Amino acid sequence: MRLLQKFKRGSSSGSKGHSNYAYTVSRVRAMKSKLLPKETYPRLMNMSIDEITRFIGESGYKEDVDELAMIYEGVDLIEHSLNRNLSVTFRKLLNISEGEVNFLIAEYLREYDIWNIKTILRGKYCRASTEEILESLIAGGTLTYTFLSGLASKGSYEDVISEFEDTEYYPILKNYNGTNLSDIENQLDKLYYAGLFAVAGGSRSKDRKLFAKFIRIGIDIKNLMILFRLKKAGITDPQMMNLMIEGGLEIELRDIQKLMPLSFEEFIKQLENYSYWKEISDIVNPGMQSLIDVETRLKKYRLKSASSFSHVYPLSIVPIMDYILTKRNEVNNLRIIVRGKASNLSDGVIREQLVI
Amino acid sequence: MVTETVTMMDPAGLKAIGAALAVGLTGLASGIAEKDIGTAAIGAMAENEALFGKGLILTVIPETIVIFGLVVALLSL
Repeated sequence: MRLLQKFKRGSSSGSKGHSNYAYTVSRVRAMKSKLLPKETYPRLMNMSIDEITRFIGESGYKEDVDELAMIYEGVDLIEHSLNRNLSVTFRKLLNISEGEVNFLIAEYLREYDIWNIKTILRGKYCRASTEEILESLIAGGTLTYTFLSGLASKGSYEDVISEFEDTEYYPILKNYNGTNLSDIENQLDKLYYAGLFAVAGGSRSKDRKLFAKFIRIGIDIKNLMILFRLKKAGITDPQMMNLMIEGGLEIELRDIQKLMPLSFEEFIKQLENYSYWKEISDIVNPGMQSLIDVETRLKKYRLKSASSFSHVYPLSIVPIMDYILTKRNEVNNLRIIVRGKASNLSDGVIREQLVI
Repeated sequence: MVTETVTMMDPAGLKAIGAALAVGLTGLASGIAEKDIGTAAIGAMAENEALFGKGLILTVIPETIVIFGLVVALLSL
């Protein structure tokens, strides 16, 4: 069966060489076991920022905290250590994998390449200094930090774009005229998902189909969050369809088209037809003030589904995607706690934001 | 008149071929099974050295296949 799957995979992937699924997946599972357990977060909530820095400095982030302690302190030290750790971890995934698995991870992590391109363009747009741009980069994708820092030090956005001349981003980036940044950003995001679909949909193997499902659930949740925000703000403009990403699992573009002109109450009523409703039914009501609960719940559902998917095909790309999501969530949670404490937010507000 | 010559194979030779197949094929099967387990064990060990013992034990479990093959070979000879 596995041999058959390997054959199917081999015939349609754009990768080269032998894939080391067993090695990568077991290593990634060992890495996942080192992530902070759920019980840590309530403990972190009771600590001051210095204590959190120390705690993080003694955990998996030791190297990053040690290295950056000379340059930054307090909240900034934690923030930069987390970002550095994230990019080092994702780069490690790219380094330890070979063949098809490397190709799939690289496609998935392209999100960071796009993030970095956007950050640099935004930096150039608001005339930020090279240092400021460099601080916001997370070199977790295929573009290296050296290449990105070279881009950040360029004088104008035209110089940045000309560096991408031979890449697939160029047809989109060349339309940038210094003012239509949000449009370019949307197109880049869509390019990312189109690329992922091309990779995930190309194979008929069962694990690759699960990978496609995993991506499509992610799109559904992203679209749902955008819809919630739009509806809460009372926006029914059909132009907003531009913000939506194509290819959701349950909520397809034509469903979104139907949902777009509805009011918040009607929108909630329509949501009852989708399976995501059971995850959020107890907290969603027409009079709700904040959307934080809904977003946290949806993110939690995504993590839960990724984790259960990862047990279906143990030797596939899905457990690695599950790790990437969980790691990113850990970094986000730590950042929420630290930033929340630094801004003197109450414990209740910080706890609401955490995705545990 | 047509005569038919019947060539008989030496039973000892057939036994030897059977024994060779039993050991050879089970050896290949063990190798294929151990390949993935071994690489997975190395991957886990790279992150956590304490997994060496477990990794080693799990890696040699498919070795039983070739041991059965060897037993069959020895019995048939």
